[in-house]
Amino acid sequence: MLDFETEITRFKPSLEVGEVEEAIVREDLTDMTDLMVEFLKGSKE
Amino acid sequence: MDIRIKNRRIANAYYNLGLERAGHRDLTGAVAALKKSLRFDKFQTDARNLLGLIYLEIGEAGAAMIQWVISLNLQEQDNLAEEYLHAVHASRSYLEAADQAAKKYNQALQYAKNDNEDLAVLLLMRMLDEFPNYVKAQELLAVLYIHHEDYIKAGSCLYQVLKVDHYNPTAQRYMAVAKRNTGRAEVEKRKLKNAFSHRQMQDDDIIIPPSYKENTGWQSVLNILTGLVLGAMVIFFLVMPAKTESLNAMHNQEQVANLEIINQKSIEIDQLNKDIETAKAAREQAETQLASLVSDNGGVLSQYQNLVKILEAYRTEDARTAALLYVSTDMNVLNDGVLDNTVAWIHADMAENGWQTLLAMGDEAMNGSGGPAQAIDYYNKSLQIRPGNTEVIYKLGLAYAALEDTDTANQYFGDIIMNYPDSEYADDAKEQRGY
Repeated sequence: MLDFETEITRFKPSLEVGEVEEAIVREDLTDMTDLMVEFLKGSKE
Repeated sequence: MDIRIKNRRIANAYYNLGLERAGHRDLTGAVAALKKSLRFDKFQTDARNLLGLIYLEIGEAGAAMIQWVISLNLQEQDNLAEEYLHAVHASRSYLEAADQAAKKYNQALQYAKNDNEDLAVLLLMRMLDEFPNYVKAQELLAVLYIHHEDYIKAGSCLYQVLKVDHYNPTAQRYMAVAKRNTGRAEVEKRKLKNAFSHRQMQDDDIIIPPSYKENTGWQSVLNILTGLVLGAMVIFFLVMPAKTESLNAMHNQEQVANLEIINQKSIEIDQLNKDIETAKAAREQAETQLASLVSDNGGVLSQYQNLVKILEAYRTEDARTAALLYVSTDMNVLNDGVLDNTVAWIHADMAENGWQTLLAMGDEAMNGSGGPAQAIDYYNKSLQIRPGNTEVIYKLGLAYAALEDTDTANQYFGDIIMNYPDSEYADDAKEQRGY
């Protein structure tokens, strides 16, 4: 049997159209290449 | 190999996986693969655009727009995201409806978390009529139905989800619960068992097509009888209920019409009863008024008779009778406007002379045959015309003293002492009280 209280906590709110702009700004676009470049830069220094 | 190229290849591999999964409508799996693809190479435009399309397919228009806007920012030329965004913006009504759907879903989620499950169900049901592809909302509604133990409705929601996203793990998990509780799981298990329980065909096995049947004469008769029975059953189970239902509906309509007529009549009867009550009250009031008019003592008619007698006494110059009649007449009811002047003249004369006449009659009674009791009556009547006359009050005290009713006598003397201390009878009253 499902535990209703637990299941309900798994649901997250949906993004409304009015919030798209803000969400784009918040979106983390770092990819593996960025991380590795950053890592290599750090190790060279 | 250059890191960038390596990452791009991995990203491409994940994109291919996502694309394949999307082709099989494994949208959840596709989303996971596409996200990994973008994690390795954010410039994998196809992966991002496909991710947006999948989001739109599962009802998440906002999330889809984010991916397309980012995609267009990272690659301005030859990008399908531009078309997608144009298409979404061109259909304003769709965008507004999708926004409303997201708002309603969020509101329903709030209701569900705050124990307002019925409101959440209502809101989701209405929203999902317009947006049946909204996967998250269907899943939430399914959870609410499962919580209310309405497994059939929950199953219906989950069926919608699995139509959009065939391998959605959450929906599959909920569906398993729904099936277990509706007995559907057992049926499927049996079917599966039967499917794998067939023995291997042998060379001498004959396959008879299911349509082939040998008909003998008896079988034909039996078939005809079966057909007749089936026909009768169709009439009994399909035609008759429809007919009965239509008759019932007609009967119900007639009943409703009759009830309306009965209600209308009841209202009319109530109104008539009220009218009767009003008429009864009016009649009783009229009877009371008539009784007061004709009654012997206090009636208006009696007062008019007294007035005539007073006028007759004046005519014969019998001031004593006029004064006695005056005090026993309620002059206030003689207000018909016709005799106002006469009544006013009588009031004035009595205020000036009437009280003196009665005082004199009281004095005569005290000194003559009438005695103190008769005198008290006259004095009281004199006071009735001119209240607060200390001479009369004092003489009333004396009359009661003569009757040896000392208490009452003292009350009158006390009245003068207390209320009229400056009057000429104040000293006499004190003397009578023994001060």
